[in-house]
Amino acid sequence: MDNIIEIKNVTYEYTDADQTYKAVENVSFSIERGSFTVILGHNGSGKSTLAKMLNGLFKPTSGDVLVDSINTKAEETEIEVKRKVGMVFQNPDNQLVASIVEEDVAFGPENLGLEPCLIRQRVDEALKSVGMYEFKDSTPHHLSGGQKQRIAIAGIIAMEPECIILDEPTAMLDPVGRKEIIETLHKLNKEKNITVVLITHYMEEAENADRVMVMNDGVIIDDNTPREIFKNVSQLKAVGLSVPQTTELLYALKQNGFNVSTDVLSEEETAKAIALCLEEK
Amino acid sequence: MLKDITFGQYFETRSPIHKADPRVKMVLLILAVVFIFLSQNILSLTLSFLFVMGVALASKVPLKMYFKNLKAILPIIILTTVINMFYGSKESAVLLSLWKLTITYDGLYRAFFMSLRIVLLIVVSSSLTYTTTPNDLTDAIESLLSPLKFIGLKNAVHTLALMMTIALRFIPTLVEEAQKIMNAQKARGADLESGNLKERIKALIPILIPLLISSVRRAYELAEAMECRCYNGGEGKTRMKQLKVSAVDFYLCGFTAVFCTGIILFNIFF
Amino acid sequence: MAILEVQNLTHTYGGNTPFINDAVSNVSFTVEQGEIIGIIGHTGSGKSTLVQHLNGLLKPTDGKIFIEQKNIWDNPKEIRLVRSAVGLVFQYPEYQLFEETVYDDIAFGPKNMGLEGEELDTRVREICKIIGVRDEYLTKSPFDLSGGEKRRVAIAGVMAMNPKIIVFDEPTAGLDPRGREDIIGIIEQYRKATGATVIIISHSMEDMAQITDKLLVLSRGELVMFDKTENVFKNGEKLREIGLNVPIVTRVFNKLKELGVDVPQDVFTVERAVEVLKNLKEGDSNA
Repeated sequence: MDNIIEIKNVTYEYTDADQTYKAVENVSFSIERGSFTVILGHNGSGKSTLAKMLNGLFKPTSGDVLVDSINTKAEETEIEVKRKVGMVFQNPDNQLVASIVEEDVAFGPENLGLEPCLIRQRVDEALKSVGMYEFKDSTPHHLSGGQKQRIAIAGIIAMEPECIILDEPTAMLDPVGRKEIIETLHKLNKEKNITVVLITHYMEEAENADRVMVMNDGVIIDDNTPREIFKNVSQLKAVGLSVPQTTELLYALKQNGFNVSTDVLSEEETAKAIALCLEEK
Repeated sequence: MLKDITFGQYFETRSPIHKADPRVKMVLLILAVVFIFLSQNILSLTLSFLFVMGVALASKVPLKMYFKNLKAILPIIILTTVINMFYGSKESAVLLSLWKLTITYDGLYRAFFMSLRIVLLIVVSSSLTYTTTPNDLTDAIESLLSPLKFIGLKNAVHTLALMMTIALRFIPTLVEEAQKIMNAQKARGADLESGNLKERIKALIPILIPLLISSVRRAYELAEAMECRCYNGGEGKTRMKQLKVSAVDFYLCGFTAVFCTGIILFNIFF
Repeated sequence: MAILEVQNLTHTYGGNTPFINDAVSNVSFTVEQGEIIGIIGHTGSGKSTLVQHLNGLLKPTDGKIFIEQKNIWDNPKEIRLVRSAVGLVFQYPEYQLFEETVYDDIAFGPKNMGLEGEELDTRVREICKIIGVRDEYLTKSPFDLSGGEKRRVAIAGVMAMNPKIIVFDEPTAGLDPRGREDIIGIIEQYRKATGATVIIISHSMEDMAQITDKLLVLSRGELVMFDKTENVFKNGEKLREIGLNVPIVTRVFNKLKELGVDVPQDVFTVERAVEVLKNLKEGDSNA
């Protein structure tokens, strides 16, 4: 299988007030090229630390992270790794560098030392792919949170990465902004075949992923398709996560003696499952 | 609302001056300033006046915008006028004598000269800031300072330009944040409006500390984001926007050259 | 008795703001003592502007605001008194923490109101007890706490002013599910203990369905609906028109009806949904 990222027995330790803690402990997995993976976990579960190791921003205390077979520990290939695996953060305000949209998107390609006309081309294309081309001359300060976050994504796309890691990109957005971002990510994944790794605590955002990993206390406790993951309501609740309200309803019905199937996610499917169960009696 | 402050003074409209290369504008402004100062007699000052008016009109920025800037420094203009009035040559004919102060015709002439010069300087400088975005100014400064690369300050120019860019980007964000924190503390009963100076300074602590903490956090996050976008101190960096000199710039240079030559001639021959 | 009355409130921002315009136009409503009111609407619909008028942070361009029948702008010099009557918890309140210890930070508001000595100490400890800030936290630096704990302390700082009305602007923004539950829990505990009137701005229709008595719907600065929560959610069509939605459970029940199952359309919480379906099933098997 063709993997863009492989992590092997990775542990990350940090020291606070003379105590050593393990933010991530002995985690191994690989991310398949072109896939859409969601990593779920509550705040402090270690998911952000894990994310930052995937492009070499943090180096593992022990174990190895390989990006396209390049070890992130190697200093001479550091830039190469960051170009291949881009990263978008939670607060859109704190990752935009320039006060004009297109100049901000150009920041990455400029750092890569590309020709001006090629940068122009990539910037325009990246802005179009996130639907922000018409705002190319605007000031980010005047845009909504969702729009700013899309510009941050464009800034990564313009470097033509193979994979984008997003660390809670929707946590500070309103529902409209959240929807914009999730739709944009699925579009990039399908149309440009960019591998997406989305770190979040919003369950709804995991619904259409290929694969969901659940993280707790620095370890991956579950790794499956979204349908299988959401079936396990009690486990999710135990690690401080919730499930979409549809799943919660089906789960509650099941506990109340309804013979309803619980491996559905959308509202439509949920309604059908309930209707079916009512007919059966 | 505070968050609506547009940083810098850029006035959006289409004019030849807007279109000109910011580097050219900056260099020409420096020249113009020098030559306005060199205007020694009434003829050269008239020429300066015509030049500045020409630029102001060509910028298509409403003249009232220029007056706005002049109003801001009105006290300085008045002060200059008053001081110069009393420092005329003693030989000149006396216009008015009040107690120990005398105003001579020469003094009046000087006062007029000096204040007109200041007015012209303000107007011509405003014509740059009104027609050039802060970003373009940053680019121009970076480009004009680029020769420094050859004397061992390789990344200094880049770093300086990046610092200016980031400052421009974050000033509105921080202003907005300061406003939010201020409102939050006011909602907790903080009194920011009354009290003596000491009390007022003390009242700023609940605003400054959160602002400082959040700025540090922002700086840290920005550094990480920049690292993820392959920033490595400007080594081998290129620029998407290349400043280009166009026909407008040649006209502007020609116009300024005529003005400078005129001043030199008037100063020598009259 | 009406604790809060807003009459024809209008607020326009000066200057040219072509982008996010958070203006409010001609909004009137009345809130009774002890109610929990939810405010819903898009970003830029005027929610934040509206609530900043309630404690006098913003002055209306037009219209009046009465707290306990008293116009708050009758004496502009006393506007600070209004700020202790109406507590306002801003978005991401943890960013306003500044004192050396948690205790001092919670005491900041009451101190500004003139409380001192024993009275101040009692006030701080009382509020900590109500919302579960443990004693050993009080001597810690607020900056050493986790995100959710910081927010709890910041909220305590406003609650300690003992306001008659407390307003929360998106109190759960950015928190994970457990954090969100905690904050909703704090609000409920506080209300139970003090009987205060509560106003909450939120984007989560599910949270709103769970805790509010009434909903106020804003769109482009205008009041679209102000009614009992169930009546607002029954009006799903109208909400969708302005780009908002009803809780997910309600949407599932709308779909069930489309599928020909005869279910009521006023179901907004999972608990109620289970109850309704159970009755339906048992009713069927009895028939």
